[in-house]
Amino acid sequence: MAEQTRTVRVPIVERVLEANDDIAAVTRAELARRGIFSIDLIGAPGSGKTALLEATLQRLAGRGSGAAPRRRPAVLVGDLATRRDGDRLARWCERVVQISTGEGCHLEAGQVRDALRGVELEGVDLLFIENVGNLICPVGFDLGQNVKVGLFSLTEGDDKAAKHPYLVTAADLILLNKIDLAPYLNFNRDGFEADVRLLNPTVPILEVSATTGAGMDAWLEWIDRGVTGPRN
Amino acid sequence: MPGVHEFSIAEALATQVLTYAPAEARLRGVEIRVGPLRGLDSEALAMAWEAVTFGTSMAGAVLQVEQLPWSITCSDCGREWTSPVPFVSCICGNQTPSPVGTDELDLLAVTVDETTDEDET
Repeated sequence: MAEQTRTVRVPIVERVLEANDDIAAVTRAELARRGIFSIDLIGAPGSGKTALLEATLQRLAGRGSGAAPRRRPAVLVGDLATRRDGDRLARWCERVVQISTGEGCHLEAGQVRDALRGVELEGVDLLFIENVGNLICPVGFDLGQNVKVGLFSLTEGDDKAAKHPYLVTAADLILLNKIDLAPYLNFNRDGFEADVRLLNPTVPILEVSATTGAGMDAWLEWIDRGVTGPRN
Repeated sequence: MPGVHEFSIAEALATQVLTYAPAEARLRGVEIRVGPLRGLDSEALAMAWEAVTFGTSMAGAVLQVEQLPWSITCSDCGREWTSPVPFVSCICGNQTPSPVGTDELDLLAVTVDETTDEDET
């Protein structure tokens, strides 16, 4: 009896993140069944993701019997280690779940699926997922969201869009935050927009300030259209 | 911190490869294809792969990364070409040709050493 060794190449061709994408597809179907519009918010550390959500949730909570429709939002917050972001948001929204990613630089579909099990989704029509502060890793991981929002800010410099083409290309909306600081910073807004346009000619760009509230109405209108409009 | 991104991809890849490599076979190589939008660095990926597979049955297997290029189109002269980077100028003088990238992240193939016992030689 002799042992023989042969080297064999086995062709496969399968997405590396297929396991993640399969979970995301199930989440997407479940959210669709419940009529929930979901937003994956992606931005760098310090771009103001939590501040933007605070300002957004505060405005949604303040909607009364006026023309603006009432929303029932839920929020998942990915963070490396602390509960601070979740605690900030819980002031304005009853349904906030913190996902501690440990050393993970992004959220994955399984974490979102598991976190959603801890949220009472009955009546909810809007889901915010605040991703881990990072402009690269989160983009490639489908979470089951309807849209991705890329959050940039004036303090990061005007070359951030050009340096992160995946986020710009994948985004359904680009938000430019901290617009109130424009008089104090050398941020070339035309140059930033030109870089975005080159990579993603059709994506809407909204300038906002979570601090002063500038541009927040347009952002909320965009959200409302997402909730009531057709989904992808 | 460079490499964190590549590390999580390498981990996903290792899990996936394990499902394809038969237990009795020794894994020699793994081939993947990466679109330019992914922004994955081949060297960092190879290092992450080495770290992730260290001490496992996959240790020593070589990760081969095929990086797909950006497709560049000049709206002024109509020239089309490929480039490893998205922002380039055209020879016609246009400073802002349009870059289009894809986001493939595919396991293409694994190479294994299969040891077979044969009764007759």
